[in-house]
Amino acid sequence: MGQLNLNRVQKFYGTFEVLKGIDLEVRDGEFVVFVGPSGCGKSTLLRMIAGLDETSAGDITIDAKRVNDLPPVKRGIAMVFQSYALYPHMSVFENIAFPLRVEKMAEDKLKAKVENAARILHLEQRLQQKPGMLSGGQRQRVAIGRAIVREPKIFLFDEPLSNLDAALRADMRIELAKLHKQLKATMIYVTHDQVEAMTMADRIVVLNAGEISQTGAPLELYHKPANTFVAGFIGNPRMNMLPVTCKSVSDAGVEVEYKGQTTVVPVTGRADLVGQPLTLGIRPEHIQIGTSDLSMSVVPTVIERLGAQTVAYASLDCQGENFCAMLPGSAAIRVDEKVPVGIAAADCHLFDASGNALERRVELTDVDMALLTAGKG
Amino acid sequence: MSAQPAMINRYRWYELVGIYAGIAVFLTFILAPFVEGFLVSLKPLSQLFSSPYRFIPVNGSFEAYRTMWVSVPGFARYIFNSFFISTIVTAVVLVLVVPAAYAFARFQFKGSGHLLAAFLAVNMFSGAVLLIPLFRLMRTLGLLNTYFAIMVPGVAFLIPSAIWLLRTYMMRIPRELDEAAFVDGASHFYTLRRVILPIAMPGITVVAITTFIGSYAQQFIFALTFNSKTEYAPLPVGLFAYFGRQEVIWNELMAASFVGIAPAMIVIFLLQRYLVSGLTAGAVKQ
Repeated sequence: MGQLNLNRVQKFYGTFEVLKGIDLEVRDGEFVVFVGPSGCGKSTLLRMIAGLDETSAGDITIDAKRVNDLPPVKRGIAMVFQSYALYPHMSVFENIAFPLRVEKMAEDKLKAKVENAARILHLEQRLQQKPGMLSGGQRQRVAIGRAIVREPKIFLFDEPLSNLDAALRADMRIELAKLHKQLKATMIYVTHDQVEAMTMADRIVVLNAGEISQTGAPLELYHKPANTFVAGFIGNPRMNMLPVTCKSVSDAGVEVEYKGQTTVVPVTGRADLVGQPLTLGIRPEHIQIGTSDLSMSVVPTVIERLGAQTVAYASLDCQGENFCAMLPGSAAIRVDEKVPVGIAAADCHLFDASGNALERRVELTDVDMALLTAGKG
Repeated sequence: MSAQPAMINRYRWYELVGIYAGIAVFLTFILAPFVEGFLVSLKPLSQLFSSPYRFIPVNGSFEAYRTMWVSVPGFARYIFNSFFISTIVTAVVLVLVVPAAYAFARFQFKGSGHLLAAFLAVNMFSGAVLLIPLFRLMRTLGLLNTYFAIMVPGVAFLIPSAIWLLRTYMMRIPRELDEAAFVDGASHFYTLRRVILPIAMPGITVVAITTFIGSYAQQFIFALTFNSKTEYAPLPVGLFAYFGRQEVIWNELMAASFVGIAPAMIVIFLLQRYLVSGLTAGAVKQ
């Protein structure tokens, strides 16, 4: 079992409130990723769950037991650090065996456990080597081995892959996902890399300035971001934001005006929005060449050809920010040459003046997966 | 090509001449007394006062290295005393300083900054300034004329710099190692013993060497003041035995000096093996 409950958890450094009352429930066996920009408090929250940092207020409950004042080992957690934190003078075997040595486990039982962990992590050949002789990926696997061997209720990962190079990171991501399936343990994972969050998580918790901005499944966050922060944070390149005005609200959706053009965006609106300024969000991958419900022409200033896609950056006259479009790899566009682009109303997100989203009418079913890939192609 | 040094280490010929000339000047300055001392130890006494003076001994021999044991029969004891005192002082300093340095490096507690500053301040006083109060202290404690009289102040004066040295070393050990051990259920003492101590070994060795040398050097003043018994006298005091009423047996004195520092040299050479750099390699991503 490994169920975690956070109830109005706060953290103060002096008078500075780092975490502003976090409520969260993590189910047994779930893979939850905390994601957010630097300084949003995600690592602090993880360290509080681990028992490395003190909780200023609120309750942290693991399996219905309040653990605020318990040391990490009594909480039944194991943590993998960003910097691996391996003991350089010990062999890989001793590194993995360390928590068991602390417990004073019998030698034969210990050996079996370490060897089992080494087998899961493909470290059998490395057991007698020192960490200094291993590659980054192997070191991180040793650190994970040290966590596995304790058989904790909850695994905590603090940006474990951020020190690895891109290729290794992709491999380790797959290995971690496999490991989660194999161990069926609760895992909480902190990262600032949204690709890691999107690919591994059952549920993503987006943190911003000490508060939970949104919690949800990866695709839910992608398709139904609750506010402009999540909309901008999830998705790469970032979502484009255009200022629009609300014309009317009907059952079909909200009619908005952008530079003289109007279109009806299928979202749930409120009557009091009529006449108000709104923000229209459109992901770069949903912009097409040609005309659509909303059409405009842009002049690309920078074009990045990635092979599969072409990313075009253009500056819109009304705002300094770059307008970004992700077009097919062979898109016939050139720098400084006007291109007509169109936006389908169904792809649009609408946010009110305070940045909260008006709910989109998108069904988040399995069909959605097909929708997503189709949109990208 | 491969024999060439790295680009940043390449110099023109006149730069090289300058560098080596500088090294030669300083080395001469530092080593000349040792060379002269050694040459004196090889000369018969009569030649030392010959005029004109000759640096290179005529009919030089190691005779003084034999006769020194005869003229001062207790000399072996003095060497033993020095060695014994320094060893005990080093051991006691290490036992006290390792946990202290760990505490100063890792824990935040009230007054830690002031304490460290105070330690530094103590170092500014040489033992000589405090001789009289120390003498009274020793007399009150009844420690005069014992080994303790030399060891206790030795330990006291060597602790501050040892703490500073080792604290700096321990602060370079990544804190994540402590945290990882803590998460795995290890107590502070277990972490210190199993994780920090092995990694801090090079630092501890440096502290051991400096403490040993420091103790070897500073025992003179304490031994001279707090001890009047010949059997407890360390080497520097023992060397006075070569100062006769009429004349100083210079050649034997020099020979004795060289023999006397030999044990310290041996200890340092042995300890040097533990001065391995890069022991933390692979602990954390730098």
